[in-house]
Amino acid sequence: MIVPFSHVLILAGILFVLGAVCALARRNLIMILIGVEVMLNAAGLALIGAALKWRQLEGQIFVIFIMAVAAAEVAVGLALIVYSQRRTGTLEADRFNLLKG
Amino acid sequence: MPNDWLVILPLLSLAAGGTAVFGAGAFWRSRPRELLFALSLITVAAAGAAVVLVAPQAASFSGVLDLGSYSRFFNFLFLAITGLTLLFVRHYARERGFAGDELYGLLLFAALGMALLAVARHWLIFFLGLELLSLSLYVLIAIRKGDAGSNEAGVKYFILGAVASAFLTFGIALLYAATGSLDIGASLGAELQPGALPLLMAALSLILVGVGFKISLVPFHLWTPDVYQGAPAPVTAFLSAGSKVALFAALLRFSLDLGPAAWSYALPAIWVLAVLTMVVGNITALRQTQVKRLLAYSSVAQMGYLLMALVAVKEGGAPALMFFLAVYAVMDLGAFGIVGTLSGTAADRDALENYRGLGYSQPWRAAVLAVCLISLAGLPPTAGFMGKLVLFKVVLQAHYRVLPVIGILTVIISIYYYIKVVIALYLQPRAAGTAVPRAEPSGVLAVAVILVLLLWLGLLPGSVLNLVSRIAG
Repeated sequence: MIVPFSHVLILAGILFVLGAVCALARRNLIMILIGVEVMLNAAGLALIGAALKWRQLEGQIFVIFIMAVAAAEVAVGLALIVYSQRRTGTLEADRFNLLKG
Repeated sequence: MPNDWLVILPLLSLAAGGTAVFGAGAFWRSRPRELLFALSLITVAAAGAAVVLVAPQAASFSGVLDLGSYSRFFNFLFLAITGLTLLFVRHYARERGFAGDELYGLLLFAALGMALLAVARHWLIFFLGLELLSLSLYVLIAIRKGDAGSNEAGVKYFILGAVASAFLTFGIALLYAATGSLDIGASLGAELQPGALPLLMAALSLILVGVGFKISLVPFHLWTPDVYQGAPAPVTAFLSAGSKVALFAALLRFSLDLGPAAWSYALPAIWVLAVLTMVVGNITALRQTQVKRLLAYSSVAQMGYLLMALVAVKEGGAPALMFFLAVYAVMDLGAFGIVGTLSGTAADRDALENYRGLGYSQPWRAAVLAVCLISLAGLPPTAGFMGKLVLFKVVLQAHYRVLPVIGILTVIISIYYYIKVVIALYLQPRAAGTAVPRAEPSGVLAVAVILVLLLWLGLLPGSVLNLVSRIAG
């Protein structure tokens, strides 16, 4: 590998933190979903780097599965979000305050 | 090996049944009314028979799946949970107009996801099982179209569940980077490389956070009351019993796999999380006035007791945990399921005032609800008492002192809010609330099974206790 493994891990870590901040701090549902996708891709990057480091294919196969699952997750999530946008007319997470006690 | 295909027969029949339900829903418009329900029930029964009849085999499919007796126990439990949920949900869903193929098909696929969590010996299988379970649950929670609460609960569970899954996935990636193996046992039990310690700790904490979200440990529990309140009651029953037991079964196995050095780092974290979960879960439940929220906090607290016993897992605590998981599944399923059968079609029966005097107008269902609550409180002669007894016993045997004392104090506090509901059922005059729907056959059957199980596990726990200690030993 030309790039040292630690650099790959640091990049994946930065991506993961960026995604987590986006998912936890933003109030817009679409932005939260994007944050989650970035986090999953950070995991994918770390897996590919580790697969190269250990010279195995397992890690790369895992990434293909992550991509498929992330697509399914977005499909379900967008359906939920579109439906609630039609119902409430907003995408702000703070407006979901019906359930409390 | 041809044998391998026979071993995964339970998983195959669940997948085939789910696909058949979706197929029938999509292509057979003029189907008989009960077809989908019958098909799902047959699937669960067939998978259950396969679990019982096929001989367990510890490592199959080149060590990726483990269908030994441990997985067999949990698979049977998941199928029982799914079967009881089907009985509870049949009438509930038809009255509210969501008894379509998506309900039954997703229930079966969620059961498959839970089974995969229990059999996984490879992180990829674990990840797929978790996502299969979560994706099915996102839709199941939001399945009441037009109901604002159901939709809001679905969105909340989706957002937090997706974040938790991302944490877990990154944790798995870091674990792979640190140890070079995606096999669950090998990666967790690996010898610590000197330089890899921070990486391994980061990986384990991310995995713990991800699992902690799903089984709602404090401080990751904030979604629980909202989601449990908004979801339709039988789905809440399935969510609280099924998904938590499945994730805890996986967590139990991770703890057993963890090498001694890593376990010594994990112990303090588990200790603190257990105390937080027991204390916060029970104290917050005290001031709830809505029954579904109260039960939600109670289920948080029950996870705290399980986590408390997890510290003793290396000293032979596993059988007690397995026994309590089965007990917990029955009593939580019963409590939420009965709330569902008592609810009118407009909204679930939630406010505590609406339970006043139900003990006299609905003697049977109120009585079983009271038994479930007494069992959750951990009072004899119910299953909950036996479950708590064995949990506290293993913790004391492992020479912990502070932890069980805190645990017993919170159990005493918790009796107050469970009894509050029982008092409302029996000792307060009937409120002029909504009418209670009549009992229907499948609901009655489910309630009767719950009652029998709770009393059987409470009075004659010997056979099950022997079974779990044989499996764990």
